[in-house]
Amino acid sequence: MSRFRLPMIPASDEVSWTSKINNVDFSTTIASNSILLDVLRNKGGSLGTKRGCDLGTCGCCTVLVDGIPKLSCLTMAKEVEGSKITTVEGLSLGHHLHPIQETFAEYGGSQCGFCTPGFLVVISALLDENPNPNDHEIKTAIEGNLCRCTGYQQIIDSVKAASEIMLNNVKIEDSTSPKSDPHPGFNN
Amino acid sequence: MSNDDEMVGYRQQPGKLPFSRPGSGGKNQFSELRDIQLIPESQGGKKHQPKGDHRHDPLISGTSIGKSTALVDSKWKVTGKANYGDDIRLSNELIGKIVRSPHHYARVLSIDISKAVELEGVIAIATGADAQNSFGVLPVTKDEHAMAIEKTRHKGDLVACVAAIDEITALEAVRLIEVEYEVLDSIHDMRKGLDDSEYPIHDRGQYHIGESNVQKRVFQEFGNIGEMIPNSVANHKSNWLFAGVNHGFTEPHAVVADWDPSGRLTLYTPQQVPHYVHRALADVLEIPMHQINVYRTFVGGGFGGKSDPFPHEMCAAILARKSGRPVRITFDREEVFWVNRGRHPSRIEMDIHADSDGRLCGVQTDALIDGGAFASFGHVTTYYNGVLHTAPYELGAFHYTGARVWTNKPASGAMRGHGAVNSRCAVEVGLDDIAEQLSVDPITLRLANLLPPFSATITGFRITSIGMRECLEKVKKASNWDKKFRQLPLGHGIGIGCGFFISGSGLPIHWDPNKFPHATVHLKIDMDGGVTIHTGAADIGQGSDTVVAQSVAEVLGLPLDMIRVRSRETDTSPVDLGSYSSRVTFMNANAAISAAMEIRKDLLKAASIITETEIEKLVIGDRRIFDKQDPAIGVSYLEALHKAQEDRGALTSSGSYRTPPMGRAHKGAAAGLAPAYSFSAYVAEVKVDMETGQTKVLEVWAAHDCGKALNPLSVKGQIIGSCHMGLGQVLSEEMKYSRGGDLLNPDLLDYKIPSIHEMPKVNPIIVESNDLEGPFGAKEAGEGPLLPILPAVCNAVYDASGIRVNELPITGDRLYKEIEKKCKILKISNPLNLPNPSLIHSDLQTVLESRASKHSERDLERILSEEKTPYHNGALFGMNPEVPGDEQDSRWEIRVIPDDQYLSNPRLAGSAWRHVERRKRND
Repeated sequence: MSRFRLPMIPASDEVSWTSKINNVDFSTTIASNSILLDVLRNKGGSLGTKRGCDLGTCGCCTVLVDGIPKLSCLTMAKEVEGSKITTVEGLSLGHHLHPIQETFAEYGGSQCGFCTPGFLVVISALLDENPNPNDHEIKTAIEGNLCRCTGYQQIIDSVKAASEIMLNNVKIEDSTSPKSDPHPGFNN
Repeated sequence: MSNDDEMVGYRQQPGKLPFSRPGSGGKNQFSELRDIQLIPESQGGKKHQPKGDHRHDPLISGTSIGKSTALVDSKWKVTGKANYGDDIRLSNELIGKIVRSPHHYARVLSIDISKAVELEGVIAIATGADAQNSFGVLPVTKDEHAMAIEKTRHKGDLVACVAAIDEITALEAVRLIEVEYEVLDSIHDMRKGLDDSEYPIHDRGQYHIGESNVQKRVFQEFGNIGEMIPNSVANHKSNWLFAGVNHGFTEPHAVVADWDPSGRLTLYTPQQVPHYVHRALADVLEIPMHQINVYRTFVGGGFGGKSDPFPHEMCAAILARKSGRPVRITFDREEVFWVNRGRHPSRIEMDIHADSDGRLCGVQTDALIDGGAFASFGHVTTYYNGVLHTAPYELGAFHYTGARVWTNKPASGAMRGHGAVNSRCAVEVGLDDIAEQLSVDPITLRLANLLPPFSATITGFRITSIGMRECLEKVKKASNWDKKFRQLPLGHGIGIGCGFFISGSGLPIHWDPNKFPHATVHLKIDMDGGVTIHTGAADIGQGSDTVVAQSVAEVLGLPLDMIRVRSRETDTSPVDLGSYSSRVTFMNANAAISAAMEIRKDLLKAASIITETEIEKLVIGDRRIFDKQDPAIGVSYLEALHKAQEDRGALTSSGSYRTPPMGRAHKGAAAGLAPAYSFSAYVAEVKVDMETGQTKVLEVWAAHDCGKALNPLSVKGQIIGSCHMGLGQVLSEEMKYSRGGDLLNPDLLDYKIPSIHEMPKVNPIIVESNDLEGPFGAKEAGEGPLLPILPAVCNAVYDASGIRVNELPITGDRLYKEIEKKCKILKISNPLNLPNPSLIHSDLQTVLESRASKHSERDLERILSEEKTPYHNGALFGMNPEVPGDEQDSRWEIRVIPDDQYLSNPRLAGSAWRHVERRKRND
């Protein structure tokens, strides 16, 4: 588009900007016309938040602003100043993944993985609000997210499995726990 | 064979079709005879194999193969830690932006960069003058440049590029570069491309075809063409128009180039085919390949759209070289559409003839495909549009004319189901029509015309395993076909479609297969016991890293967490041809097994020394090597490993795969050759709103023969995902061009990819035909599953509405126009009163049913018998199956050049043959 897009007005004001990104206070200076997606990717340390289309059509850039899914490519950073922003990096607790992260991996919800961060934040918001969603509720929640690989079916499977984990309070193992013993049945 | 000068020197075995012993060539021959006694008792011993034994059976340790497995890199993806192209951020980086042509076709007269240079923050500017060498994915058609040399060939074509300290500065610099153009007359209708032109879009010198824009033309005749029509009682004729579609991957192209202090280039790029970029960079930058490291980042979807070497990749490297700093170029979505490489817009004329026995006595296809401004993979696409529908059915005669033309549009290229999708749709819809004319069930018609296992198609492709029959039978049962077909009310319908696709291309693009293997895998195991796999296969989300890891894990009896795959860098990975033509599982997993077998031998030998047991008695189970008869005798994996390492430290091995010799020797015989083929059959159930023309797919039953599902989770994911992509093409996706040739919808708002609400329930059905040469029996599952969904939906729309569509996508307005037209013809005012298609079986139905059941027995016999007698296409028509048609009947011909009689009245694409190549002209 570069050749055809009117040039952005250069030299916009630099303003200070604060928010809470993934539970950590964050402050920086940004151009006053910055888009939240750019701030998160270029300054906020969230390269997990993806840019897919620039037009709010694909949902890859979705983040939670005060718990509500928002398309960060259509959100001016100034608009959400002072808000609590959650990106895909903020879903897990240390090395304990969020159930939806765990099941997305296990049930094939993610193939190429580029749309995955957007889906995950939307679904985590859904599960927070409604830990046992039905098919229709799941579909409505993710209708703004495009996935080109999975055909969505395994994403729905993942959501259901995650819901089960949450309802049953199954503990998700720390990913740093010991893996397979190459010398089974013997004491070294 | 009429034209000897058209015979080319592929190193194949001409004529005869040898059914060589299964096994790969390469460095590690492992065509040992199968010994099922070696299957560990603990893994079920002599397990039941309905399709016979497999040479990899003795390697089964029961740890990994056939188990639904999460992708080994999925944890990176779900935590946001996966770095895609634009996520590579190097310190001191510059942002690159591209100056693009605003004209469809223009001569570049001058480029004035003086103003841009003066802009503060602009570090480097490059134009076509900085990179004169051409490149392209196929060595025969290198027609691209990093930036325009003389002409720009489509709107959005690259003219210059800029590197600046930030995006705004780079965009401003792009604006300040003044380019003077001389606008030329552009071509947008593919039919115009067949004509002579004053300024053809490319000039191929002495190989140029007339003065036209024909980039590639194909003429193929197999069989007794003269008898095809007189013998027929049912004739289908259709004229299709397929809109171009884009891959629609979610990650826009992005690239980072960085020259290190020693003068080596590292190019970070989300590529399906790092090796071809590697070659192209060396050509364009004029440096040796060893001076370049291509680093494949995570790839946010490929589907064929990230398999060409791209001009912007060259631009980043050039800018980084000039500026001395890393340069990152990221596309916005519009630029993705400018670079395109999506499925070709096509005009396909399909004629199918069937005789009174319900045999397909002739298929005549004419395909004109719109290549856009560059060749890309088009040379191959032109062949694939024809040759990939010569199976799974036995044909009396086959005639194909194809042509690919250049037009002033973004280039078309390879997209999932490369070249086979559109013509397959036309064939399968044609069969539905033939069945209707013969008053038989379309599934029965197909079942009675299938090629058997271990047979040769009419063009000489070697079919080994074929699960087509099982696919058809399974979807028929699962969809409750017999209760639904032609029995549902108006507006509600069901349809069938089949598919056939290559599992890896038989010939590599860049070299003689006798010189290098197609795929190579290296293994390294040090004291810790973890296995490092080095492979160049590009994981683009399909799970190739996982399948390679699973294969090694299975052979060595290890859990997956002990395997790590290093597949990113050309510096550390053996050369691999990349992720295209559905080759990775077949070729790479075979190479991995071969490498793992070397290690396995070392481990068994070590265990044999420790336990003082003969090697032949030992088997590998989960992290343990033990005596099959007495499992108490054994050692742990680590013990055996450490013993094996005593002499030489870390164990390393290398395995490779190459295809066996295949195919015939006519020109174009290599296109479509594959070591194995996948088959699929889908049934779709749809609702058509007769008053608006809106089509909604309710449910799909999708059976795919992938040989053996190494990772059923991934296979199902590929089947459902293929349905999604195919549904987009058949119902909503279309690259729309205005009359003036402007692309109207280069964004995801107007380019309509199905959302969750358009997606029906898909019931994936895995059929396992246990391919003898596939890794553990596996074939491809990534592209083939896309083919059948298009015709299944088209045929279901007919069953629902009585309308035979011949233009895709079937949008509401298109279908409603057809409904309206039909109402007018039948003088019916209310579309709800249109007649509903019905079927009363003719006598032929029972004939076909009994033939199908006889063939079913024949097929099983051929699978299980040790002696694979030759079966050449044509036996169904009474010919001798032992020899190819042309060797037994003088009227059965192979021709690859049209004669004067054809040229006096050619079909659309066939008219490309009226031009004479410049070198063959006398002027």
